[in-house]
Amino acid sequence: MSVLRLAKTILRIGRMAEPAPDAPSETPVGDAALTGSVQVRHVDAGSCNGCEIEVGAVFGPVYDAERYGARLVASPRHADALLVTGVVTHNMLQPLIRTVEATPKPRVVIAVGDCARDCGVFKGGYGVAGAVSDVVDVDLEVPGCPPTPDDIMTALRRVTRQ
Amino acid sequence: MSLLDSALGAQFLFVLAAVVAAVAGPPAYRNRLCGSLSAALGLSAALAGASVLGGSTTTWSLAHPLGAGLGPLAPLTLAPDRLGGFFLLVVGFVGAVASVFGIGYAHGAAASRTAWTAYPLFLFGMQLVPAAGDVVTFLVGWEVMALASTVLVLADQAQRARVRSAGLWYAVMTHLSFALLAAGFAVLASEAGSTRFADIAGMPVGEGTAGVAFVLLTLGFVTKAGLVPVHVWLPRAHPEAPSHVSAVMSAAMVKMGVYGVLLTVTRLLPDAGRWWGLALLALALPSALYGILQASVASDLKRLLAYSTTENVGLILTAVAVSMLTRHTGTADVSQVALVAALLLVASHAAFKTVLFLAAGAVLSATGERDLDRMGGLAGGMPVTAAAFGVAALGAAALPVTSGFVAEWVLLQSLIHGDVRTDRLTTALLPAVVAVVALTAGLALLTFVKAFGIAFLARARSEGAALAHEVSRSMRAALILGAAAVFGLGLFPGVSASAAVAALGDGTVPRGPSGLSVVLPVGLGGLQLPTLGALLDPTSLLVLGALLTVPVVAISWALARTIPRRAVDLQWGCGGVRVSPRMQYTATSFAEPLVRVFGDTLRPTQQLHVERAKESRFVVVGASYRQRVGDVIEDRVYRPAARWLGRVGDAARRVQNGSIHRYLAFSFAALVALLVVVVR
Repeated sequence: MSVLRLAKTILRIGRMAEPAPDAPSETPVGDAALTGSVQVRHVDAGSCNGCEIEVGAVFGPVYDAERYGARLVASPRHADALLVTGVVTHNMLQPLIRTVEATPKPRVVIAVGDCARDCGVFKGGYGVAGAVSDVVDVDLEVPGCPPTPDDIMTALRRVTRQ
Repeated sequence: MSLLDSALGAQFLFVLAAVVAAVAGPPAYRNRLCGSLSAALGLSAALAGASVLGGSTTTWSLAHPLGAGLGPLAPLTLAPDRLGGFFLLVVGFVGAVASVFGIGYAHGAAASRTAWTAYPLFLFGMQLVPAAGDVVTFLVGWEVMALASTVLVLADQAQRARVRSAGLWYAVMTHLSFALLAAGFAVLASEAGSTRFADIAGMPVGEGTAGVAFVLLTLGFVTKAGLVPVHVWLPRAHPEAPSHVSAVMSAAMVKMGVYGVLLTVTRLLPDAGRWWGLALLALALPSALYGILQASVASDLKRLLAYSTTENVGLILTAVAVSMLTRHTGTADVSQVALVAALLLVASHAAFKTVLFLAAGAVLSATGERDLDRMGGLAGGMPVTAAAFGVAALGAAALPVTSGFVAEWVLLQSLIHGDVRTDRLTTALLPAVVAVVALTAGLALLTFVKAFGIAFLARARSEGAALAHEVSRSMRAALILGAAAVFGLGLFPGVSASAAVAALGDGTVPRGPSGLSVVLPVGLGGLQLPTLGALLDPTSLLVLGALLTVPVVAISWALARTIPRRAVDLQWGCGGVRVSPRMQYTATSFAEPLVRVFGDTLRPTQQLHVERAKESRFVVVGASYRQRVGDVIEDRVYRPAARWLGRVGDAARRVQNGSIHRYLAFSFAALVALLVVVVR
């Protein structure tokens, strides 16, 4: 897309993001050094992809988490926080633990969705190793099946403190 | 007795002392004694070279001590001129540094009596060549250098069979070179009626004779210099020789070929025909490209360095060829700058290639490995070697602020400004030369990123590499000395370029035809080319750059201190535990895209063998992959020629079958034939 067309499109569509709600009143989570800049690695530990759609929406143009300083990155080595969705399946058990260990400290682990919190509808399934908190230390949980983008956003804003 | 005379005399003294020490000295002290004496031998040559460049002259006759009655061989004279002085300086410095390295490095066969006898003789022969004042002395020095280096190449022949083959290739090629040189000088000497270079230089030569002499001499010299297609001995002899010998061979001995070409085209036959430059360019430019292409795909470190030598000599002779081309096309200014570029390239290559070969030797002695694919992570165990290799690699990749950058900068300046409208061919050719030089520089960067990165960074790929530790003090000293020279030549190009101009001039203030100086020192040891309007002052730029970056870095560092240090528990293996050293890039895989792109030239042979399970052919049990990148010229030219020679030899065996009767018959026939001829 040429620069001119891009500029025209921007002019035509204008601002899509919803007006920023007030900063969350809950206590902030994680190190104060992360204020305003949190690199987030998303880990799908065995999700049904419902949560992924909501996470995708959070980083889309309407909710636009980047304006609060949260940004998705491609490797735990670049990340400050992990966004874990889904139950922990047996196949993802070790990779999840290694991903958490490969994230530099101080780190924040956010369990997103009911499955990540307590296995949700998959509780007792033969492929399920447990909830995220059974396997690694979790700093923040977002309930919901799936959680709304607003909920996920609130959790991220508690980490970015914006 | 002047400084020059004492320095020349000291050479004879030191070579004698070194040989005596090698033969009669106690074996426990042989390395130290012979190494120190060889270093002194090199230093005295460097001193002699420096004083010649400073303006001293002398003529030594060697015929007196040998007695009269040498007949056609007389007069044996040593009369180094300024050009010879420059090469004496370079060769002497390389010899001295390599000797210091040899003290700690030489072991086994390389520390034997034979090897330590041959080594100072090798240096001495090499130092006779640029000091020679006549053809015979030149050839004697040349042959001493060739024979002694052959002995040194063969040092390890009892351990490895490949050494013998390398020695054979080297001996054949070096004597081919000698034969060509003897023929070429014979043509000139018979024309001049004298073997003195001064007489030959002052004599007018017919165009045809000059052409014949030029072709013979150039072919002889480039065989020593290692240009394509007579480069085949380089990638064999350099890797197999002990590393301090490889360093001298590659950094200094091949320069004798360059010296010979410069001697021919600037002194003996200054009125070059127009096709001479083109012929030399046709040899030199493909050599530069082919050499670096082979180097970029080589995984044997010393083979890589040997091919890089072909590249650098190609660049040096490209500069000489451009100088010859532009001399008569109204751009004599450019011609002089190109010659300065050639000499700067000589000095630069001598400096960085010494360090590279010595560092390769240090790695070899610490790990026992020459194959890059089995090195890795050496920077941790061998920080000094790694730093020295890194500096020299910067020089080889022609990056600032090293010697290589300065030399290639001057070369490119001369190429860019050589564009004049008086000569169509030159005008059309020079942009192509610029393109090839640029491609060469790019491939050189890739090659040395590979060499340094694979060998010294990341994790060890073999047990030897994992256990590597820093080498002895004398070896480290040699590496640091060489690396300092690489930086020194890069930081103060004004000094080295002035020396190069002094080597080319006749002692008067050097001025181009336009009346401007060819080179002017500027700033903090910087370099100005007034005739081309170009300026380079690395030290000032470095100071300026430091003034700009130091505050920024300091402030960033101070600010970064407020942020807590981040600790990581586990190396990232993409969720698995795949942190085995085999996951890393190897030299082969790093060069794979190049092998693909230049597949038509390199002609790699690849074998992929996949082992499948018995139960199902869709289950792979294991796979092995082999790749060999040979030398196209060797495979297509030399091997068929060797086979043909073998067939001729076999055919000749029918005549000479070992039967005494037949030989008696041959003698009888010969006698009869002789009588018939005489009586008639």
